[in-house]
Amino acid sequence: MSSQNYNLNSLTGGQPKSKTLPALRKLVGLLPEQRGKLILAFVTMVIYAILSMVPPVLIGFTINKVLLHKAAATSLDIFGWHVLQGSGYGLVLTVCACLLVIYLVNLAAVYLRTIFMGGFGQHLLFTLRNAIFNKLQELPVAFFARNKAGDLISRINNDTDKLNQFFSQSLMQFVSSIFILTGAGIALVWLNWRLGLATLAPAALMWIYTKLLSPWVKKKNAVALKATGAMSAEIQESLGNFKVVVAFNRRDYFRQRFDAANKHNYSSAIKAGIANNIFTPVYGLLASMGQMIVLLYGVYLVSTGHLEVGFLVSFILYVSYFYDPLRQLAALWASFQVAIAGWDRISQILSLESDLVTLPVTAAASGNGISGNGSTVVLEFKDVSFRYDGSKDVLRHNSFHMEKGKTYALVGPTGGGKTTTASLIARLYDPTEGVVLLNGRDIRTYTPRERAQKIGFILQEPFLFTGTVRDNILYGNEEYKDYTNEQLEEALHRAGLETLLARFDEGLDTKVLAAGDSISLGQKQLIAFIRAVLRNPELLILDEATANIDTVTEKMLEDILRRLPATTTRVIIAHRLNTIENADEIFFVNSGDITRAGSLDQAVNMLLEGKRVS
Amino acid sequence: MSKEKPSQHTGKPKGPSLFALLKPYRRLILLLVVLSLVMNSISLTIPKIIAQGIDAFVGHKWDVHGIVWEFLAASIGVFLFAYGMSFIQTFASEKVARDLRTQLANRISRQNYSFLQKTNPAKLLTNLTADVDSIKMFVSQAVVSICSSVFIILGASILMLRIQWQLALCVIAIIPIIGFTFYIILKKVRVLFKASREVIDWLNKVINESILGAALIRVIHSQQLEYAKFLEANAKALNLGLRILKLFASLIPVIIFTANLATLTILALGGHYVIGGQMTLGNFSAFNSYLTMLIFPILVIGFMSNVIAQAQASYGRISGVLNIPDPVETGTLVSGLEGNIELNDVSVAFGEKYALKDISFSVAGSSKTAVIGPTAAGKTQLLYLLIGLNQPNKGTVTYDGQPLEQYKKEDFHQQVGFVFQDSIIFNMSIRENIAFSDAVTDESLEKAIATAELKDFIDSLPEKLDTVVSERGTTLSGGQKQRIMLARALAIEPRILLLDDFTARVDTQTEQKILANVRQNYPGITLLSVTQKIASIEDYDQIVLLMEGEMIATGTHSQLMATCPEYVQIYQSQRSTSHYEQPELQS
Repeated sequence: MSSQNYNLNSLTGGQPKSKTLPALRKLVGLLPEQRGKLILAFVTMVIYAILSMVPPVLIGFTINKVLLHKAAATSLDIFGWHVLQGSGYGLVLTVCACLLVIYLVNLAAVYLRTIFMGGFGQHLLFTLRNAIFNKLQELPVAFFARNKAGDLISRINNDTDKLNQFFSQSLMQFVSSIFILTGAGIALVWLNWRLGLATLAPAALMWIYTKLLSPWVKKKNAVALKATGAMSAEIQESLGNFKVVVAFNRRDYFRQRFDAANKHNYSSAIKAGIANNIFTPVYGLLASMGQMIVLLYGVYLVSTGHLEVGFLVSFILYVSYFYDPLRQLAALWASFQVAIAGWDRISQILSLESDLVTLPVTAAASGNGISGNGSTVVLEFKDVSFRYDGSKDVLRHNSFHMEKGKTYALVGPTGGGKTTTASLIARLYDPTEGVVLLNGRDIRTYTPRERAQKIGFILQEPFLFTGTVRDNILYGNEEYKDYTNEQLEEALHRAGLETLLARFDEGLDTKVLAAGDSISLGQKQLIAFIRAVLRNPELLILDEATANIDTVTEKMLEDILRRLPATTTRVIIAHRLNTIENADEIFFVNSGDITRAGSLDQAVNMLLEGKRVS
Repeated sequence: MSKEKPSQHTGKPKGPSLFALLKPYRRLILLLVVLSLVMNSISLTIPKIIAQGIDAFVGHKWDVHGIVWEFLAASIGVFLFAYGMSFIQTFASEKVARDLRTQLANRISRQNYSFLQKTNPAKLLTNLTADVDSIKMFVSQAVVSICSSVFIILGASILMLRIQWQLALCVIAIIPIIGFTFYIILKKVRVLFKASREVIDWLNKVINESILGAALIRVIHSQQLEYAKFLEANAKALNLGLRILKLFASLIPVIIFTANLATLTILALGGHYVIGGQMTLGNFSAFNSYLTMLIFPILVIGFMSNVIAQAQASYGRISGVLNIPDPVETGTLVSGLEGNIELNDVSVAFGEKYALKDISFSVAGSSKTAVIGPTAAGKTQLLYLLIGLNQPNKGTVTYDGQPLEQYKKEDFHQQVGFVFQDSIIFNMSIRENIAFSDAVTDESLEKAIATAELKDFIDSLPEKLDTVVSERGTTLSGGQKQRIMLARALAIEPRILLLDDFTARVDTQTEQKILANVRQNYPGITLLSVTQKIASIEDYDQIVLLMEGEMIATGTHSQLMATCPEYVQIYQSQRSTSHYEQPELQS
């Protein structure tokens, strides 16, 4: 039994601390079909970078040939190539015409570069978001029980937003800066290798500086992201439970807790802010050093005849072509580190695997229950034990079975394991030991789709999606989803559910919100009930599903349950005894044991005598 | 705030409010502006130093030491100021953000529950996070960037004009060209930005609901459905992203091309001047350097106008919350409650619809009253009314003859315990969850735990009372949560206890025990309980029957059995099992 640790805040050891390059590669790997676009983007960037390097050298030659000698030259030779004809100022104008052509080509290159590279970034973001959401859908309930919803929401919203900012705002600049500075670097060395190398020397220092400090910057950002997550989780919790805060008059408490989270966020944000600003000034300083080297060493080289004055001007231009993008990279580097920190937190989720795998159907998985073919046993627990990770056993070596068409009740003191039993039946969890058989087959061999069709489970805490009552009762219902309101009302009528709709002011079109008190808990339970019954499952579990519904309405629900097809098995968990009085069989669930209680009288006696060990 | 540069730049719409926000931080901001101006002045001298160097060399007056020292001093100066500025920028912006959040939280914490219901917590969360962030961005970047950009543009222009005014004018001509293009495109982009923010909110909503409804989604196996919802939103986001990209794709080439044209002009015109001897080679090179210095600030101003617009919008939303008046605390009455509650012709309406209509009844001190009625009858609303979570539209609620509003809140809430219907457990230790008020002593904590029959459970936990329970109490069973909530209400030693469907998730035996414990440990307490189970309330002094917001009947069990058919119907629905739930059964 693989037991995956789903607590994101306690993931240790194998915590993926991605290095910059592999992380990038992994990101790009998500998107094979966009590779063409990426290549095109690179091609245009190379063209742009090369063309951008031409003007300074042309300007340098012009200065050497024309400006310095006040119009003596008649043609422009570059390294022996006879490039341009003309004389004096006319030659200058010819050079200008060449430049204009180059600039026009560059205009197109820049446009295409933006479209290709930016498009790639947008698609990458799109794919990444999908991957995260897909993963969230794959993970089992245990994952959501282990992580604070607020923290999880903040992690996903916030961290993808950081990636979003990087991909839509910085990525293109980031990549094209690299191309330009590479081009400028090559041009510098090509024009005069001694001066070139000397000019680039400060950049080597920068590289070391960046290399050394990046992990620290990333760490600070990771801490800051975590603090932001904690703060929004805090806000979410306090605001979500504001009525308790009001009713107990603990507004001061809300403030205190928020203050603590706010202060923590403040101090870590300052640290991250300082870390993010660590690069730019140093880059600026080193860029100036580069300029100074050009000036001093360049002048020296000119005076010794190794360099012409015009190229000194070209050099000064190249230096800014090299160091300006580098400085931009410094600013972007920090946002890149933020994005990487966000990516790390997201990959923690992406690296989780669901431990509820669907097993292949084998002989071993079937046929060894009491139930053979044609048996009436629909569900069987064989020697099932269960514990939530890190805590003690909730169920210990339990075996029992349930038959088709009957109604079962699970009773027992609170905390006795009733909901856990129900969750095992619906395979929200897998047993730690033993097997659960559905129709004689290991429940793990059913695909989630089959299982969801066969088993309906009305959860203790009803959840509604923002929308209308109609949206909610048809949620995930393939059969009825395209029905008109009239058709649906008829379907509800057939199932005897239409009377329940009367509890909603605007019937099917009553609006509901996922959060808040727009409708009462009892009404939420009614919607959950209708939703489950409409799906017509073979086995329907009601986990205190009617606890907040009045007993008269509940009688109606019972009638509805009774009208379900004769083959439908019902499993009812309830505290109210009248809810379970019609059960065919009662199980008493307490302190790890599930025992057959026989009659209602016996069950009540067990309840009265049962020592709560919970 | 003194006349700062930001308010002088282009004619972007901006209320004074955003800058008024900076008032308390004017020293920091001023310092920041001064630092940035000094730093930029120094940066502006660097091309000039190089120009002089080149000219000196060409003119054979080369002085290495002078140049080196000037250059070093300038670049180290820029370096130091840049560091100082980045520290202060971070510090100032985080400080503004922190203070804003504190102000917001304080303001929210003083509001009524009805405010929160109206405003929707998700919106407030956005105010406290995303909106504050965009203001933070404004403080850390916009103020300084705009000051220094304006300064650099002006400075570089002046310096160029002084070198060679004809050429300078040609180069400066790119500023309006780039500025205008930017203005046009950003105007379009802003609309898209807004739309994409909305799409992101939509995306987040889908994510949030898929997290909160995770269990349901797995039971129904509707992952595909959720994915489809998400894909729709995500595709829209992609689409918008690409549209924004297209706009920028047309903007950036225009900027680069315009700047390149300026390079051309410098070569063509500047070359002409150099040949004609009206300009030195050093100055020719300086023009090139100033041109590169000039382009970036133009872009910055454009981007910052966007940041300002966003911050302005965010600040508008935030001030909406900040300017909500605090509910006036009128209550001054401090007195020990006897527990006599009276509702006089009370109505609560949400829009057109009445949640409660003309309700009148009274509860005697130390008595037991039950409220019963079908789903959506207004039972919970009634309790909210009694604890002051809701205010009546009409009628009065009095305690011991005094209107509820006249009581001092702190004092009142110390005496009235409330157990909510939905499980509300905070992500902290069980001790903190129960002792949710300063006034709780160890003794009353013990008593509350014993009364709620939680002792065995808590003792079985590894860290006892200090065990941290997770958010929404997912690691606790329904009944355990309910009992913790009861203990929370009892720990303040209330005079009045309001229970909202407390018995729903607690088994009958425990319920009976707990109620007996309450009677024994909290003698004289006034009990008002919303419930479904008639069996447990047959001996109550009064039963109030609500239906669809209206009071159908009130009286004791036997009175109602004799006079109220609706009550009899509810009774009948429970009759078959009621003999199990008689209090006598419990030995």
